[in-house]
Amino acid sequence: MAPPAPSHAGELQATSTDVDRQAKRVELSDVDLYYGDFHAVQNVTMTIQPNQVTALIGSSGCGKTTVLRSINRMHELTPGASVKGEISLDGQDIYGPAVDPVQVRRLIGMVFQAPNPFPTMSIYGNVAAGLTLNRRISKPDRDAIVERSLRGAHLWDEVKDRLDKQGSGLSGGQQQRLCIARAIAVEPEVLLMDEPCSALDPVATLAVEDLIRELKNRYTIVIVTHNMQQAARASDATAFFNLEESGKPGELVEIGPTDKIFTNPDKTATEDYVSGRFG
Amino acid sequence: MTGDPVRTEYQEELAKLEERALEGLDLVVSSLDRTVEAVQHQDIELAELVIADDDIIDGRYLEVHQSILTLLATQAPVATDLRLISALLHVMKNIERMGDQCVNIAKLIPMAGHDPPADERMLKNIVTMGHATRAEIRQAKRAFADRNVEMARDLVRQDDVVDNLNKECFQIALEIGDDHDRREWAMTMLLVARAIERIGDNAVDVGEQVAFVVTGLFREFEDASHPEAGIIEPQPSP
Repeated sequence: MAPPAPSHAGELQATSTDVDRQAKRVELSDVDLYYGDFHAVQNVTMTIQPNQVTALIGSSGCGKTTVLRSINRMHELTPGASVKGEISLDGQDIYGPAVDPVQVRRLIGMVFQAPNPFPTMSIYGNVAAGLTLNRRISKPDRDAIVERSLRGAHLWDEVKDRLDKQGSGLSGGQQQRLCIARAIAVEPEVLLMDEPCSALDPVATLAVEDLIRELKNRYTIVIVTHNMQQAARASDATAFFNLEESGKPGELVEIGPTDKIFTNPDKTATEDYVSGRFG
Repeated sequence: MTGDPVRTEYQEELAKLEERALEGLDLVVSSLDRTVEAVQHQDIELAELVIADDDIIDGRYLEVHQSILTLLATQAPVATDLRLISALLHVMKNIERMGDQCVNIAKLIPMAGHDPPADERMLKNIVTMGHATRAEIRQAKRAFADRNVEMARDLVRQDDVVDNLNKECFQIALEIGDDHDRREWAMTMLLVARAIERIGDNAVDVGEQVAFVVTGLFREFEDASHPEAGIIEPQPSP
């Protein structure tokens, strides 16, 4: 199917009145993704608006996680994997020849499906882990950043008296918020989340969704989710990916404001998927 | 990726819900037929039956309403399914109102008193209005079931006929004017005409819901507060 007309992406201009910090726009242009010779995703052109939550939905194997991982240059970590086309952050090509992928991954953070705090590190250590990679920071500054990040992840009040305890001792929902704190400690522009709530109970899920809603005031957020209701609740824009048939590359079928995708989508395939008519 | 259909039980539940809702329009037709007959023949007993049987329409309203709430809570319908549910809620309200209008008419019949009718023209108009409105309701049901927007829009034209007959009734009532023997009958019949006209408006409202389900846009076919605009064409969303 043809990529969606730009007018949908154009409708989604972020209003700057509510944001605490202007985040960056991610643009994908004619992106094709490969695992060796296998053409996993084809011809993706889309804009991820700053300070908004964009949900990527679609059935298993349609390429949404592959697309997500291409945005912060994790796709290439798989042996043989490659990218064609352009992915840019506020107009700067993140695959440019002089670009340091480690820097990209600092600016574009990732939160994974299974909470993965560093198991032997303390809560404090987990949040501070990325801070000292490339520069020296004084302890007071580090303390301030750790507190700010934990507050930003709605976790500070629950852990402030046990920062030296292990991260793995927290509940699932707390661990995931710790991972979010870790990601925001290095002041990214974009947060990518790959099914961030699928391992969490319903209460923890809603708590993380509330957090995501607040985080978009400071960051651009992209979330892959299998949970349609979560996409409907938690996102401003939704992009639907699909496979025409097994073995073919996945593609972007439609992207638009979430309320439109869930009340009056343009494409029949989108309608069928969100309505659960076909698996 | 297409495969075997899933959620078949949900789809069947939704289809059955729509069927039960649209049957409400058949109940209204049945009530309206008896109401018009009762008016035509001054049949107070038939009028009482109309009043008593409105419970059936109200019962259908409650049943469909509850089913809709259950479906919303358990199945989280979206897109066209969601628009359909929203439309069915509106249509059920229209059905309930049409049933109530029949009851209003039925209650007026004992008050009409006069035998034979004080003005043949007025009674003839009212019976014609009743038949025309009946046709509107049946067309609205078919338009909804077939998702036929053009058929739904045509209800406006048909309803104009009913509106004009209502205006004629008003003129006739004015002519009867101060005639002591006949004016009470005329006033009562004017209320009957008004109630039928309202039933017709409700049928048009059902038509507007057809357009909403199909296009995703809600627009009145004709805006009463802007009659100069004529029949309004829905504009695509920007």
